[in-house]
Amino acid sequence: MKANFILRLAWRDWRGGELGLLIIALMVAVGTVTSISLFVDRLHQALLKESANFLAADRYIGSSEAIPDSFREAARARGLDVADTLSFPSMVFTLDDRNTLVSVKAVSTGYPLRGWLEIADEPFSRGTPTSELPAVGEVWLDARLFPALGVAVGDEVEVGLARLTITRVLTTEPDRGGSMYDLGPRLLMRIEDVPATQVVQPGSRLSYRLLLRGDEADLEALKASLKLEDDPNYWWRSIRESSPTIGSALDRAESFLLLGGLLGVLLAGVAVALSAHRYARRHYDHVGVLKTLGATPNQVLGAYLGLLATVGCVAVLLGLLVGTGVHLAIVALLKSIIPVALPLPSARPFLLGTLTGLICALAFALPPLLHLRSVSPMRVIRRDVGTPPPSQILSYGAAAVGSLGLLIWYSGSLMLTIWTLVGTLGALLLSGVLASLLLKGGRVVGMQAGSVLRLALAGLQRRRKENMAQILIFGLAIMLLLILVLLRTALLAEWRSEVPEHAPNHFVLNISPGDVEEMGAMIDAVSPEQGGLFPMIRGRVTAVNGIDAGTWEKSHRSELGDGPGLRSGRNLTWTAQMPADNTLVAGQWWQPGDERAMVSLEDDYARDLGLSIGDQLTFDIGGERLDVEVTNLRRLSWESMRPNFFIIFSPGALEQFPATYMTSFYLEPDQKQFLNDLLSRFPTVTVIEVDAIIAQIQSIIARVTQAVELVLGLVLASGCLVLVASIHASRDARMSEHALIRTLGGTRRLIAGSLAAEFAALGLFAGIVAVVGAELTVLFLQTRVFGLGASLHPWLWLVGPAAGALLILVVGILGTRQLVSAPPITVLRGLN
Amino acid sequence: MTTLTVAVSEEVFQPMSSSVIETRDVAKIVPTAEGELVILEGIDLEINAGETVAIVGASGSGKTTLLGILAGLDVPTTGRVWLCGSELTALDEEERARVRGEQIGFVFQTFQLLGSLTALENVMLPAELRGEPGAEQAARILLEKVGLGERLDHYPRQLSGGEQQRVAIARAFASRPNVLFADEPTGNLDTRTGARIIDLLFELNDEFDTTLVLVTHDERLAGRCQRIVEISGGRLMSSAAA
Ligand SMILES: Nc1ncnc2c1ncn2[C@@H]1O[C@H](COP(=O)(O)OP(=O)(O)O)[C@@H](O)[C@H]1O
Ligand SMILES: [Mg+2]
Repeated sequence: MKANFILRLAWRDWRGGELGLLIIALMVAVGTVTSISLFVDRLHQALLKESANFLAADRYIGSSEAIPDSFREAARARGLDVADTLSFPSMVFTLDDRNTLVSVKAVSTGYPLRGWLEIADEPFSRGTPTSELPAVGEVWLDARLFPALGVAVGDEVEVGLARLTITRVLTTEPDRGGSMYDLGPRLLMRIEDVPATQVVQPGSRLSYRLLLRGDEADLEALKASLKLEDDPNYWWRSIRESSPTIGSALDRAESFLLLGGLLGVLLAGVAVALSAHRYARRHYDHVGVLKTLGATPNQVLGAYLGLLATVGCVAVLLGLLVGTGVHLAIVALLKSIIPVALPLPSARPFLLGTLTGLICALAFALPPLLHLRSVSPMRVIRRDVGTPPPSQILSYGAAAVGSLGLLIWYSGSLMLTIWTLVGTLGALLLSGVLASLLLKGGRVVGMQAGSVLRLALAGLQRRRKENMAQILIFGLAIMLLLILVLLRTALLAEWRSEVPEHAPNHFVLNISPGDVEEMGAMIDAVSPEQGGLFPMIRGRVTAVNGIDAGTWEKSHRSELGDGPGLRSGRNLTWTAQMPADNTLVAGQWWQPGDERAMVSLEDDYARDLGLSIGDQLTFDIGGERLDVEVTNLRRLSWESMRPNFFIIFSPGALEQFPATYMTSFYLEPDQKQFLNDLLSRFPTVTVIEVDAIIAQIQSIIARVTQAVELVLGLVLASGCLVLVASIHASRDARMSEHALIRTLGGTRRLIAGSLAAEFAALGLFAGIVAVVGAELTVLFLQTRVFGLGASLHPWLWLVGPAAGALLILVVGILGTRQLVSAPPITVLRGLN
Repeated sequence: MTTLTVAVSEEVFQPMSSSVIETRDVAKIVPTAEGELVILEGIDLEINAGETVAIVGASGSGKTTLLGILAGLDVPTTGRVWLCGSELTALDEEERARVRGEQIGFVFQTFQLLGSLTALENVMLPAELRGEPGAEQAARILLEKVGLGERLDHYPRQLSGGEQQRVAIARAFASRPNVLFADEPTGNLDTRTGARIIDLLFELNDEFDTTLVLVTHDERLAGRCQRIVEISGGRLMSSAAA
């Protein structure tokens, strides 16, 4: 058949409004995917860039040994930028011999590769960003150190054997956060000055990092070529591994956005299938007539394939345009909230959108159209003849394969896809049973009801199959929306609890036992929110069950483990009560009064090192030997910015060892001067400020939250489309029925009332089905994919059905308005 | 009643001397829930070129089924059917469709216009299907002939029943068919409108020199045909000249 005939056919169908919904559904599928993935793509890049600031790089290679030059060369050969840092604790001395312990960071030019340093000329004043570094022979100090050492900018200090000049106050460094092991106030110097200090000797606690910056692809290629996974001496780190809070927030947000997009696609797919089915059904007669006029089956097939191709192309183009438009609108809307400059999008979102359109067209719209080929021309003279229903296997099979392919490809995650599908299918199955029960129950109720309700419920019962399908479709749409809303709420709650407001944002270490009380009182006066007080003693494990720790580690250390080694120095503490945010996973917490020397280990730490309950650990604490038994395992909340200990002793076990104490408290930004008072009163303590990091985490989470809500909105739009398509699809059947009722004397009010009651009942049933499905799926997703706790939502059981009834009522009445208001004669003629 | 020689029947695409439609021992049996239902049985029928034939009979006697089989819309369960030299029963649906497109026109009781197309577009459809040029001009002329020259751009729902049937007749003649089939063309129309439709049908039939096979209840309509074929209980009763 001629191309221009197909075009004319398409044009006429479009003009007649037959193709409108199909095109819109396809367009929305393409538009949703394009806009979501455009936004996710750009936001993701932006978030990654911003979170890279926490590393001062895109990636780094860490080691306790010097990084070989070959690594540096390999990185440069791939066009990556590199910089070196070396951190170690050291004593710093003033010329009049005052001293304190600092955490030295020596950096090469180029540092930081991401983010920036902030400096000031006076301690405790506001910093300004700089692109400079201390010159060779100079140091920048934390504001903390000025009162502690009694120095001022311009004075000299000694680090090891090198004498260096203080030229600035260091207020912020991008990669300050994260490590709780990098204790003490900062002294920033140039790596070129390190040899002169002569402090770097075998056995010193050194942390080398080779910072890397460049394209994702180049970074990944470097990672692959260096093969560091097998080398215990070097570790490759990205933001995900080095900052669990941000990493997991990003991961979950990404999963959520993917899931949102995925459900959006599924919903649009359902809308496409519905409108294609309706289109095909309306065209049975059309095809019958064409066939009596001599159209051959292959011509018919060719014409509708051509039509679908035309419609598909138009819809994809429009969808891409709409998607881009929506995306631009979103970016414009969120401009004030997302100050990060969004990088240009890649081609992937557009490709994704186009393919989605094609797959939707093939998997959802093609099967009913294929069926048109076999419509018998006899149908024209005998309506009941020759139209077997479209092959169910073909329709559902194609839709299943199509959605599976689309979902896996789109999410790149088999797990997420399969859980979503399992949940959806399981819920559907259950809902089928539920829907049929509800329909039956509805009729029983209807028997006793007034005429409007009786008509409505009889209508429901009469078209039972169609209504079952419709309840399932409505239910599915509402369910998917509920799932997203529930997950969003769970995610946000989880994120908020990770960094609660007024969580302690300052840590004080090295508090001598005699100062504890006085300092406690001083902190009390400014900050009501205080963390617990923990003793801190440094020590390391030397033997397990009498076996040398090195030997034990060789035979027991897990291959997968990337935690700290057994023999490295650890901060030990002891406490009578388990810290509130820890959870016991095995064994017993010690009873009060039990005098034995016992120890509690963090679960992952124990597993990595092959330790279990009952093992005897031998510690070296300040040169003395201590034997303890492991009696329980705990899980920490790593995501909280609280002091966490891998190893906790029972009270008494560590009493004979000299301890210092640590505590934490919350300070408002304008209370920072308090630190000065605190440090001048207790010059030997160390204060760590994590307020800036917490603020940064909060801002990232806030942005991720916005993205999540936005996607939710888009998917809601898709969901409404499904509702509209579904009501449209059932319009023909309703139309003939109501035309008949009106010719039999039914008033407009009766019909309007019964339609309203019918839609409300459908919506109510769909809402019930949706709530059941959503609860089950969310339970699954929360525990399996998002790693959140399980919870049910009692409020949903009221809100879901009510919202379902209202939603379907509104959409239904809007969709069938003409049907009610038109005079019966036009309704009859419209049947043609 | 003549039967066709086997030799001729094998000459599938060769135009036959005078008969345009031939059936031999046609039966239509459909499976139903209560077992097999015989709708047609032992139908032997021959219709010559240019003849006008009315098929009459009680409701449910099998008229529509027979018409569908003669026109190649449906296939008999057993027996053979020839239409304009092609043995329909030896063709597949693809080929039958081609024969339909080239040889026949159809007018239905329920008009069967495509609702999304205007009157003009409905009439253009057969020519467009065959990819013939000048479809629009020919369609305009036909619509003029049926008296709807002013309603070209109207949609079926904007036309009365009689007007819709006139469009359907114009469409049926648009493919310049050899045989025109009509299944109760006036069944959905009032008597006066029906009469006008009949006039129109015979007028055009004369003009285009078409063979006309129609099913009707309407005695006046049957009476205007050269031959009346009566069918009862799925069997041919008589085949009388009117
Ligand atoms: N596909 C079918 N299945 C079952 N019964 C059929 C089928 N086609 C026709 N019939 C029956 O065959 C009989 C003849 O139908 P039809 O040819 O439409 O009669 P007429 O047109 O003479 O009124 C009717 O009783 C009808 O119900
Ligand atoms: Mg009939």
